[in-house]
Amino acid sequence: MSGITSFIRGFISILQGMWITLQNLVGRRKITLLYPYQRPDISPRWRGIFYLPYNDEAGRINCVGCTLCAQACPTGVITMTKMGAGKHASVNAFTMDLGRCMFCNLCIEACPFDAIHMSTRFELASLDRGVSLLTIDKLARGGADAVERTKRTIEAALEQEAAAKAAAAAAKAQAAASAQPTEGSGA
Amino acid sequence: MSLPPLRRPAPTRTGFECDRAFVAGQFAAGVAVLVAAIAVASALPRLPWRLVDPALILIGSHPVINALVKALTVTVFVTIHVIFLIWLERKFAGWMQARLGPMHVGWKGALQTIADAVKLLMKEDIIPTRADRVLFVVAPFLTFMPTLLTFMVLPFSETWVAYDFPLGILFVLAVTTNISLGTLAAGWGANNKYSLLGGARACAQVLSYEIPMAVAMLAVVTLEGTMSLTEIVKNQQHGWNIIAHAPVMIPAFLIFMVCGLAELNRTPFDLPEAESELVSGFHTEYSGMRFAFFYLGEFAANFFTAGLAVTLFFGGWMGPWLPAPIWFGIKTIAVVALFMWIKWTVPRLRVDQMMGFCWKLLVPASVVVFCATALWVMVAQP
Amino acid sequence: MTAMQPAVGASTSSDMTINLGPQHPSTHGVLRLMVALDGEYVKSCRPVIGYLHRGLERMMAARPYRQSVPFTDRLDYCASLNSNLAISQAIERIGGMAVPERAQYLRVMLCEMNRIASHLIFFGTYAADIGATTAFLYAFRERERLLDLLEAYTGARLTYNWIRPGGVASDMPEGYAQAVCAFLDGFLKELDAYDTLLTKNPIFRVRTEGVGIISPEKAIAHGASGPVLRGSGVNIDLRRTEPYDAYPRMQFDVPVRTEGDCLARYLVRVEEMRQSARIIRQCLREMPEGEHWGKQPKVFRPAAGEAYSRTESPRGELSIYLVSDGTANPVRVRVRGPSFVHLSMLHELVRGVKVADMIAILGSLDTVLGEVDR
Ligand code: SF4
Ligand code: SF4
Repeated sequence: MSGITSFIRGFISILQGMWITLQNLVGRRKITLLYPYQRPDISPRWRGIFYLPYNDEAGRINCVGCTLCAQACPTGVITMTKMGAGKHASVNAFTMDLGRCMFCNLCIEACPFDAIHMSTRFELASLDRGVSLLTIDKLARGGADAVERTKRTIEAALEQEAAAKAAAAAAKAQAAASAQPTEGSGA
Repeated sequence: MSLPPLRRPAPTRTGFECDRAFVAGQFAAGVAVLVAAIAVASALPRLPWRLVDPALILIGSHPVINALVKALTVTVFVTIHVIFLIWLERKFAGWMQARLGPMHVGWKGALQTIADAVKLLMKEDIIPTRADRVLFVVAPFLTFMPTLLTFMVLPFSETWVAYDFPLGILFVLAVTTNISLGTLAAGWGANNKYSLLGGARACAQVLSYEIPMAVAMLAVVTLEGTMSLTEIVKNQQHGWNIIAHAPVMIPAFLIFMVCGLAELNRTPFDLPEAESELVSGFHTEYSGMRFAFFYLGEFAANFFTAGLAVTLFFGGWMGPWLPAPIWFGIKTIAVVALFMWIKWTVPRLRVDQMMGFCWKLLVPASVVVFCATALWVMVAQP
Repeated sequence: MTAMQPAVGASTSSDMTINLGPQHPSTHGVLRLMVALDGEYVKSCRPVIGYLHRGLERMMAARPYRQSVPFTDRLDYCASLNSNLAISQAIERIGGMAVPERAQYLRVMLCEMNRIASHLIFFGTYAADIGATTAFLYAFRERERLLDLLEAYTGARLTYNWIRPGGVASDMPEGYAQAVCAFLDGFLKELDAYDTLLTKNPIFRVRTEGVGIISPEKAIAHGASGPVLRGSGVNIDLRRTEPYDAYPRMQFDVPVRTEGDCLARYLVRVEEMRQSARIIRQCLREMPEGEHWGKQPKVFRPAAGEAYSRTESPRGELSIYLVSDGTANPVRVRVRGPSFVHLSMLHELVRGVKVADMIAILGSLDTVLGEVDR
């Protein structure tokens, strides 16, 4: 007898299962996203392809080439060459090899100047490995132009600094020179 | 010490060239057929029909030509409806699983199957080196041919039946048993262990489930007193079997359905091609056109089993307003949908449970239903 | 049925050796099982591992402590936040860092969300192993919603790297609590539907009931943990017995079943999803205001010594052992993964069962190869 009741119960639960699949067949919204035609909603926190923001006011990208991000990276994605010196520094090469990147966010957190960001771009696939090697022209917002302008800003600033230094030195020299004659005249 | 060269000598002819010629040939053939079809279609209305008609009737009455025409019609129908069924199955499964199913080729992916068929046709024909070539090559046709044959006796309407065989049910039973021959040949011939297991399972399963299925069908035969499928439908003029004789016919239908699922290797009984165990069972090694034949056979069998259920239990082509074949089509597709619905809901049985279910439950139950039908005939229809 | 079973161990000419994997639909990764079959019966089974070996332990030992966290994402990739937690705890212990209270709640919440996601994968793949493809897609639909939530928080969908030594990398975005609650409401309803679809299904029952029985003694002897242990009737859950972070303040039940078969393990996991939902709700309700990240030393050079952290990952006890020699890099990192331990039981469990049962047993152990091979 218990065999029959359990058989009937089993039959009924199969029917219940079929009811659920039927509800999904006719009632429920489908969740497929026809991807290349429809785009997913991506969270603004998405850890996608990197970029170096361009600072319009200062006329340069924020990066000062301090290599903290490269040091924080567990897989050695980032390489850079520094440009300029002291307060007026930036990078003229900044390369990220996304083929090794884990998108772990550590570099972003390491940067003290908020100079490297992750965008919501997520389409990394390509038929060419070279594409995953991001040079500074591809990384900087504004592209090669931004890099060029950064370079000019830095150079101008450096020149200015040099000029100021030279002027200061000259002034100092002048002061010294003018002091000497007085001394001399006084003598 | 010199090492042998790492590279093999370059092949004189790459596979790509060969493929290109093949594709070009197929393309040319396709274009030729299309042009011919258009030419014939545009010429048809202009033919002097009054002169042609008697000739056509004369030719049509010739037994050989008549048979050929029917055979061709059935084959074409089977091929075409399978294209639709596969699309339906994929859409059905997709919607049931909260997906959309195929969407790209044609309206809502309606032409997807055709695209797939073309792709399969163009694929390289692979025969494993260690395979038993003869069995391997023959197996797909061995599974497909019996199914094709069964369509000969399936009545789409009173007149739309290729061969109104008085012993239709016997013919069906005799022919469908041969399907297991094909699966066994495929399983053995491929010389693959998964295939072998799948083939063995398929053979055991199909042969076992034939028995309760046959007994359930015999219950209908007892009720109707005939083995001809057209006669069985005609006898249901005053009510479908499943309604008019509900107490015996509903259990018979349930048994028929379960056995049908097993014969078709559909999910609670899809052990022969159990994906999570045997990769894809007896057709693991098949690709291209041969694989397509397995598919063709499977879906044609699907339609046939559903059509048989409709014929036996749901009044075949009968129905108001619409023409008979359309009624038959609607009912059959409904039963096919039921098959799909079950398939996409339930998990899979284990091999011993599958056999136990058949021999311990279905066979006795079918015998009981058969005896009950006999009693019913005696009591209810004096 | 037992009478039909062939003698175990004796090799006959009808034996057939099959390689299940490394590419096979149901080995869930790159696991290879060398199986000797006698017809449908499994005579012996030898798991061959190492196809996913990346030397993660060594890689972690070659880097400063804090850089090892993203590598733990690749251990148990179905529940990487739980692995993050394990290594973070070990680093905190070795360096004596404190975790702010809010961060503790955030960690528990994240881990439980990831536990649900991981168990949903189990649910789906197990259904697919048994042959129910539809349940698989339903589970993934819910998981997708959960991953959307995790993405909104952490910015990643699989390898989160968001629980760090000393806290959590960021606080929740705005309106997150409501979104999580809304998800949980829908999710629990869906879970009931899945119960009807799969758990109550008689075919699913006969496939899993009484299959792959692990006795409590055997489970303990093999060092099983997590749902495998609790499915065998041993009530040990590190969240209860050795609570860490905010777990001591959480009210939840530890589901235990005594049958020890595949169904028991499955039911334990399904029930754990409900309990996780409960824990997440409590976290959101009771979470105090405050910092999400404690004070961190600029240069992290813990004194020479060692630390061991035990956590309850969705698969069982995930522990990490760290040895420091006072430099910036650890000397040794050792991961004790539950999947590896459970996989070591497989050959005993499957001897004499049928092929289909073997798949069911393997699925019910819920191994993740990233953690087995490391
Ligand atoms: S995201 Fe991680 S792996 Fe990628 S560059 Fe930054 S620190 Fe390196
Ligand atoms: S991106 Fe930031 S951390 Fe990296 S070099 Fe530039 S300023 Fe330094």
